[in-house]
Amino acid sequence: MSKRTFKGGLLLLALAAIATVAAATAGASARRAGAGPIKIGISLSFSGDFSDPGKAAKRGYLLWQSVVNSHGGLLGRQVQLKIVDDASSPNQVVTNYQNLINRDHVDLVFGPFSTLLTAPAARMANRYGYAFVEPSGGGPAVFQEKLPNVFFAQPAPVINCGDPFAKWLLSLPKSQRPKTAAYPSLDDPFSSPIADRMRGQFEAAGIKTVYKTIYPPETTDLTPIVEKVASKHPDMVVGGTQSVDAYAQVKAMAQLKFNPKFLFLSNGASSPTEFPDKVGKGNTTGIFSCGDWFPNSNAPGNKQFIAAYLKKYGGNAFGIDSGSAEAYAVGQIVQAVAKRTGSIDNKTIIRTLHSGTWPTVEGNLSWDKYGSPRGSDLLVEWIGGKLLPVYPPSVALHKPVYPKPAWKG
Amino acid sequence: MHLFIQACILGLLTGGVYALMASGLTLAFGIMRVINVAQGALIILGAYASYILFTHFQIDPFVGVLVIAPAMFVLGVALQLAFLRVLRDQEREELSLLVTWAIALGIEGILSYAYNTTYRSTNTSYANRAWDVGGYLFPEVRVFAFALSIGIIVLLWIALTRTRFGRSVRATVQNPVSARLLGVDAARVSAIGFGLSAATAAAAGAVFGIVFSFNPGSHYDLISRLLTIIVLGGLGSLGGAVIAALFMGTSEAVFQVEISPTWAPLTFFILLIAILLVRPQGLFGVAARGAA
Repeated sequence: MSKRTFKGGLLLLALAAIATVAAATAGASARRAGAGPIKIGISLSFSGDFSDPGKAAKRGYLLWQSVVNSHGGLLGRQVQLKIVDDASSPNQVVTNYQNLINRDHVDLVFGPFSTLLTAPAARMANRYGYAFVEPSGGGPAVFQEKLPNVFFAQPAPVINCGDPFAKWLLSLPKSQRPKTAAYPSLDDPFSSPIADRMRGQFEAAGIKTVYKTIYPPETTDLTPIVEKVASKHPDMVVGGTQSVDAYAQVKAMAQLKFNPKFLFLSNGASSPTEFPDKVGKGNTTGIFSCGDWFPNSNAPGNKQFIAAYLKKYGGNAFGIDSGSAEAYAVGQIVQAVAKRTGSIDNKTIIRTLHSGTWPTVEGNLSWDKYGSPRGSDLLVEWIGGKLLPVYPPSVALHKPVYPKPAWKG
Repeated sequence: MHLFIQACILGLLTGGVYALMASGLTLAFGIMRVINVAQGALIILGAYASYILFTHFQIDPFVGVLVIAPAMFVLGVALQLAFLRVLRDQEREELSLLVTWAIALGIEGILSYAYNTTYRSTNTSYANRAWDVGGYLFPEVRVFAFALSIGIIVLLWIALTRTRFGRSVRATVQNPVSARLLGVDAARVSAIGFGLSAATAAAAGAVFGIVFSFNPGSHYDLISRLLTIIVLGGLGSLGGAVIAALFMGTSEAVFQVEISPTWAPLTFFILLIAILLVRPQGLFGVAARGAA
C-alpha cells in the first residue's frame, strides 16, 4: 500500500466517522426536538414456538397504534411501529433490540412474547437505558434479573396464577371444601411452581395431598398418569399445566370416567377458543383456571379496545386472544405516562412507572422495583360453554359452579 | 393389581398405534436401507389431512384413511423418485438421513406456514368415550386405533409374504444383485415400498390425530420414539417393530404408574440398552441388504 493511498484511506475513514457522528447527532436532536413520528421498536415471534402468541401480540400492538394515531398520536406525534421477527429465538431477540436501538434509533421499545425472550431482551434494553414495558414475560426469570426498567403489563406474576382459586376455595365453609387433593404437573418453570405454591396453601389449610407428580414435557400420553391420580380418589385435582398437557389430562379424565369435585388447570384451560376445540365443549363445564383479561371486564379502555378490535379484525369478543389485550395494555401504559408527564423520555417513563397505579385493559397496574406486578389474576371458570370470571366477586360475572358437573363424553 | 392391569391395557392400546407408525419406518429400511427420519413428519401430515377432512367435510378419520392413504402413497412414490432414487448404494444410509431430514423440515415448514403452531386435535364424538369391561376401561378411540393398526400391519404382512410384490421385496432385501439378475425391477420395488411406507404414515397420522394433540413440530418427538422402536425390534423387521412398540407402550404406562412419569422414559431406555447389549441386532433383527 502506498503512502498516498494510506493517507487517502485515513481521510475517508475520518470523513465517514464525522458523517456518522453528525447523522447520529442530528437524529438525536430531531428526536429531542420532537420532530417527526415517534418510533417504537418491537421484536415478536412470527415463526417457531411462539408464533401464535406473537401474532396475537402483533394485533394488539397494531390496534393500539391505530387507536392512538386516530386520536392525534402521542404528544401530538404519530406513532410508528417497527416490528421485527425473532423466530422465537433468545439470541435473535437480543440482536433485534440491539439493531432497533443502535441502527434504527427507535425512541422506545416494547416487549416481545414469553419470559424466555423477555429476560435477555430486557437486559439489553436496560444497558441502553430504555424502559421495557412488556406484555408477557411474567416468569421468575424476568424478575430475578432485578432490572429497574422492566414493567410487566399484567395484574400478577405467572407463579401467582393459582392464588385467586386458593383464596376462593379457602373462603368456602369447611364442609364444602375438598378433603384431599392431587397435583399432576408439567415439568416446566411456568407450570409445576404454580401447583407447588397452591399445594403449600392447601396443605396449610388441612387439605391432604394424596398424590403429586411431575411429568416431563415429552409425555404425550397422560392416560396412565391420570389413571394413577384417579386411583387415589382425590376430591380436587390441581394441574400445573401448559396447553397440550391440559387437553390430554381432561381427555384422559373423561375417558377414564374420573370426575373430581374441583379441577383447576393453570394454563391451557384459559384459552376461550382452543380449549373447547380440543376437549369438546361439553367437557369444559366446571373447570377452573386463571386469567389476566376477559372480554366483559370493566377495566379502563376495555370497551374501546374490544370495539376497535372487532372493527379492525372482525370475529367476536370471546374469540379475542388475551395476548392482544396484553400488548394493547403496554401501549396504554406509555400513553398514560406521556399524558401525565408530557414526556416519552425513557428515564421519565422508568421513574414515573415506579409509583402510582396505571389504568389499562388489564386493570389498574402497579409494580415493585423490579417490575413484578402487585395485583392478582382473576379466577375464571367454564360455565355453559363460556369462560367467565367468577372471583373476586367485584369482577365476577357468575358465581363459581361446584362441585364440578359430570363429563359429557 | 387393578392399577397395574389397567396400565397394561392402556399401554398395549397405545403401543398398537406406535406399531403402525413404526411399521412404515422399518419397511423403508428393510427394502431400501433408507433411514427415513421424515416418517414422523409424514405421520403429522397425515394427521393434518385427516383433521381437514373431518373438520371441513365431516369425514370420520377412520373412513378418511381410505382417501388419504392412497394420496400419501402417491406422495411417497414421488418423494422416492425425486430424492431417494438418486442416492448411491454405498452412501445410501448416511445420505438418506440428510435427504429425509430435509423432507421432514420441508413438510414442517409448509404445515407451519399453512396452519401455524396451534395444536390441533381431531375431536370425534366418541373421542372421550370408553367401554367398561369388568371394571377395566377401554377408551373406544384407542380400541378402534389399535384394531386399525393391527389390520393394516396384517395386510402389510400378507402383501410381503403372500404376493408377487412381496417376493420381489424379500428378494431385493436378501440379495439385490441376484434379484436384479432374476428380473426384479428393484427401482420399482423401492418406489412402491416407500409409497407403502408413506401410506402407513397416513393411516397412523389419522389415528395419532384422534388420540393426541399435534402441531407441525410434533414430529421431532415422534421420530425419536419410532427410531427407538425399530432399533429395539430389529431394523427392517415388521414383527420386531410390532413387538417393540407394544413393549414400549406397556412398559412406559406401567413405569408411569408404578415408578414415576419422570423415570418412565429413562427406565425404558435402560431396558433398551440392556437388550441391545445381549442382542445388538435387536429383538428380531435381520441382516439387511440394500437395494437400488
